[in-house]
Amino acid sequence: MPAFPAVRFDGRSAGAVPVVLRVDGARVVVETPEGAVLEREPLERVAVSEPLAHAPRLVALSSGATVEVPDARGDFEQELRRAGRRVPLAVRLQARWPAVVAALATVVALLGLAYFKGVPIAARWLALLLPPRLEARMGDQVMAALDTYYLGPSHLQPARRARLADRFTRAALTAAPGVTSRLEFRSAGANAVNAFALPGGTIVLLDGLVELAGEDDAILGVLGHELGHVVHKHTTRQVLQSAGLGSLASLLWGDFSGVAASASVAIGTLRYSRDFEREADEFAIAFLRAQSISARPFYGFFVAVQAREARRPRGYFPDFLSGHPPTQERLAHLRRAFE
Amino acid sequence: MPPGIKEMVERYRAELDRGLERREVAARPGEVCVGEIAFTGQGAEYFRIWVVNLLLTLLTAGLYSPWAKVRKARYFRQNTRLDGHVFDYHGNPVAILRGRIVALVLLGAYSWAFQFSKPAGLVTVGVLCVVGPWLLMRAQQFSLSNTSFRGLRFGFDARVGPAYRAALPPLVLWLAPTVAGALASSLGWLAVIPGVAFVLTVPWMHHRIKAYQHRHAAYGDRRFTFTSATPRFYAVYAKGLGLVLLGGILPAVAMVVLVVLLRFLVGPPVSDPTVGPVVAGVLGTALVYVIGWPYLAARLQQVVWTRTRLGDIRFGTEIRPLRLFRLVLANGVLTLVSAGLYWPWAAVALARYRIECVRVEADLPLSALAAGVQRAAVSAAGVGAADVFGFDIGL
Repeated sequence: MPAFPAVRFDGRSAGAVPVVLRVDGARVVVETPEGAVLEREPLERVAVSEPLAHAPRLVALSSGATVEVPDARGDFEQELRRAGRRVPLAVRLQARWPAVVAALATVVALLGLAYFKGVPIAARWLALLLPPRLEARMGDQVMAALDTYYLGPSHLQPARRARLADRFTRAALTAAPGVTSRLEFRSAGANAVNAFALPGGTIVLLDGLVELAGEDDAILGVLGHELGHVVHKHTTRQVLQSAGLGSLASLLWGDFSGVAASASVAIGTLRYSRDFEREADEFAIAFLRAQSISARPFYGFFVAVQAREARRPRGYFPDFLSGHPPTQERLAHLRRAFE
Repeated sequence: MPPGIKEMVERYRAELDRGLERREVAARPGEVCVGEIAFTGQGAEYFRIWVVNLLLTLLTAGLYSPWAKVRKARYFRQNTRLDGHVFDYHGNPVAILRGRIVALVLLGAYSWAFQFSKPAGLVTVGVLCVVGPWLLMRAQQFSLSNTSFRGLRFGFDARVGPAYRAALPPLVLWLAPTVAGALASSLGWLAVIPGVAFVLTVPWMHHRIKAYQHRHAAYGDRRFTFTSATPRFYAVYAKGLGLVLLGGILPAVAMVVLVVLLRFLVGPPVSDPTVGPVVAGVLGTALVYVIGWPYLAARLQQVVWTRTRLGDIRFGTEIRPLRLFRLVLANGVLTLVSAGLYWPWAAVALARYRIECVRVEADLPLSALAAGVQRAAVSAAGVGAADVFGFDIGL
């Protein structure tokens, strides 16, 4: 029966005592070098540390004593297995490279599944569960902050505002009955050609966009697009999705670097945002069709935006770093709607 | 006992004695005994543990992560060898899970409350101030009392009074800029004061927390002591900031030249207003991480450890900022290039360097000193309390 020279710590002082450890049947026996038995305990009541390549095994006895057993060649591990000690699943997996490679492949597959399916589905489900009052509250908070720091009152003629609001409200009633939405007019400098939807259904339309778009029908297309974001609860889902991606990333990268984790979240959510833009474009087309408005002016607006951007070169900007689908793709999609 | 075994035991014992003698030889008056420190972990081995941990964590939707944390902590502690013996970790995964849930709720509340409403935000900040120092104390206690060496646990003097005295002022300073930001509309330009105060007191806060952690730590029945060094913290932070700025000037000049050149060749510069700040932010963070952090970590480790003692045992570190800088740079680049797969090797390399740089010395051999250290007389309630919530915040 093999015996293993070891060191025993009694747990009361830090002094080390050389001992001999044996596995006798299903029991662990600790003896002094002279052969006096110090402990004799059933294997299942003893905690033994995982086998590691260069660390001794630590055997914790129920008396509070610890025995440090050098086991560079793995003889002690063999003895433990012979005595019938169960090896935990994690230890069995990491002991063999093929299992580790399979585990790695599974990790990659699971991450892919979570990114493309799990996170979006869970976010949609949660967004539907969230009380509308909470969303409205968040939207109001954002609107108040925007009004304080960035936005000014609209300078459009009141008549034009009233006409746009009226047409939008009527169209929204048919296209999305039962969905709360509210149109707000604001200005933010001449260069701010934009419209956006906040959680809770507030749609903000900036003067810059109205001036560039010109025609009411084009503006209605834009509003339909934003209403699409409202109907599909995109803002809330986006927030939830980045929270989900954030926890995935911190699992992966967290103890390496918080920056790496948030950078991968930022890039990861852009793909989600492109999907949402496509979905909102889809909604806008249906929205216009329900009002028998041609999508041609909306298309024209996109062309105008593109021309405007072409005048201000943006440098090279890769598609995967953009929150919007490629403009060419969106244009082609819109053209199909009226041709 | 069979003769073969007896021989083996004798050989082992002789080896142990030789080790003692060697150290005792060095123990002549006026000479110091240096404890041998080694880190025996290996990248390939830790990689396998890391992958399996990751798989089980994903399969259980994160529930396995406390078990993963314990297995990781055990790997690093059991591969740390001082004077021929290894450290060990005993954290209870269920306690860690409980602690993580509480921490998650607090963190979630903190990052969401101000978006929801001002009163909700202020209430959350108040709750954080009330529970923060207690959490810090418990986290420290959990980490230390679950670490052992030579069969004895480390410990932490978890009394509520000193915890609040030490941690509440830094916590208030740390939260004040957020509160001021949320109330900016009613405070006007006064809102910047907390931010300025925060920046000016970072070294002071860091020193205060470190002093608290080291002064209340124990090994067995022995307390650690720590000599204050606030001016040294300020000096190190000032120099670190200088290095980051210096390191930032070169890339900045290069960027300006590039932009001017592009403007000349291609036309006006990038007009998307979001690109500039994002690029600047990423570059800035990378600079702080690669230049500032190694310098601060190395120098502060020196400042802190040379002022820490455990009875007759003195500490020190031979860590060099430049070596740490090279290590962090190589780790960062390889980890990014390998999409994270290099991380286990990086973690092991960093741990090896930081651990093997630590110096532990005394006028007597450590093994001789160890025999006199007894288990701390801690009430069972104290140990139990430490095990209810396993907070691990990286401080």
